[in-house]
Amino acid sequence: MEQMVKVTNLKKSFGELQVIKDVSITVKRGEVLSIIGPSGSGKSTFLRCLNALETSDSGTVEIDGNVITKKHANINKIRENIGMVFQQFNLFPHLTVLGNVMLAPVDRKHCTRTEAEALAAKLLKQVGLDDKAESYPRQLSGGQQQRVAIARALAMEPALMLFDEPTSALDPEMVGEVLEVMKKLAQNGMTMIVVTHEMGFAREVSDHVIFMDGGYIVEQGKPEDVFGHPKEQRTIDFLNKVL
Amino acid sequence: MNWSVVLMRLLESLLVTAKLTVVSLLLGALLGMLFCFLALSRNKVLNIIDNLYLDIIRGTPLIVQAFFIYFGIPQLLQTIIPAFRLSPDAAGIITLTLNAGAYISEIFRSGIMAVDKGQMEAARSLGLPRSHAMMKVVIPQAIRIVIPALLNQFIITLKDTSILSVIGIRELTQTGKLIIATTFESFKTWALVAVMYLILIKLLSMLSNRIERSLRNGTNGKSHKS
Repeated sequence: MEQMVKVTNLKKSFGELQVIKDVSITVKRGEVLSIIGPSGSGKSTFLRCLNALETSDSGTVEIDGNVITKKHANINKIRENIGMVFQQFNLFPHLTVLGNVMLAPVDRKHCTRTEAEALAAKLLKQVGLDDKAESYPRQLSGGQQQRVAIARALAMEPALMLFDEPTSALDPEMVGEVLEVMKKLAQNGMTMIVVTHEMGFAREVSDHVIFMDGGYIVEQGKPEDVFGHPKEQRTIDFLNKVL
Repeated sequence: MNWSVVLMRLLESLLVTAKLTVVSLLLGALLGMLFCFLALSRNKVLNIIDNLYLDIIRGTPLIVQAFFIYFGIPQLLQTIIPAFRLSPDAAGIITLTLNAGAYISEIFRSGIMAVDKGQMEAARSLGLPRSHAMMKVVIPQAIRIVIPALLNQFIITLKDTSILSVIGIRELTQTGKLIIATTFESFKTWALVAVMYLILIKLLSMLSNRIERSLRNGTNGKSHKS
């Protein structure tokens, strides 16, 4: 299988504080990677480096053959190929659900308005919200908003999807519907990198799990190994706390 | 003493006041946008130009600015172009525009800063260039945020036109002074002048409340079918 994501020796500091200390990963096309770890371990920052929402200090990030860390990389073009879902949804409150999903395809001239509308309708159906197209985000529940955010991120037909703790801001009863949509996406062959505290999801859906702590990858492997037979003491301690 | 003549003169000058206000605010809004852009730019030189402008306008009284522009600038320019003249109206509009522009640029800037950072990030993550994200995502939300502060500035600028009476513009306050000079009717004349300002400002704030409400309906859609 070909490589979708290749990160080598990534480092990132905020002032004095080095939050990512030399991280390298590869993700193959169609693979689902979950990143787990305590808060402050650098996992969200790492994810944000992958679409250059944070600029890394050194190292390279290659997404679908494009090196995003290159000096004159066309970051906007590369980002069209990377969908991102945020913890706080970040839907555009002044636009309808349909308007949210259509914004990027229309602005980036990905397709015509009519095509974008059809695409948005299809994606909203996919996340089970085709009846909410004309609603505004604040009229929806948290779980519904996050599903719209997933549809919006899919609208540019990206090759890779990044999820930054997508269920952490949700009421417990809403978590399931969002994970369900993500699971379906994974089954349909989407390449996904998911920063999550949902250990059940990480165990069940991912092909590969990374445990990060203190800016390093402490342990990684198949979910049954990382969760079933963790080797590192820090992984064992973390899993004991959260499971 | 013919009060209908007095009333006509005051109403005519009220129109001058309204015109000064509208023209200065329109130009001031444009200037405000320009300086807001300078303030938000990543270019240090542009930031410094913006700061200098804000410091000068906020650090000096409007009346001094009016005198400087009406008397000071022409004197300087006449050493180069002897025939240079500046009408009181033009000087007045320049003064108010520069003044309102400074405050409006700060209102715009604070509105843009008040939009959650996640909005810009979400738009950028979809591949939108910064300028598109600004125009389609951040600014539409900032506009709703700034309306109350912008209305307040409109009212301040409307009242500031009265200060331009010192350079001889025949707006409402100046006309009141001139009427009293011939009639000696201080109480009635100033009462009329005050009521006219009051009505104009009340109309302005009613209009803005309406705009604010209609914009809000556009986003939360209270009357919306769901």
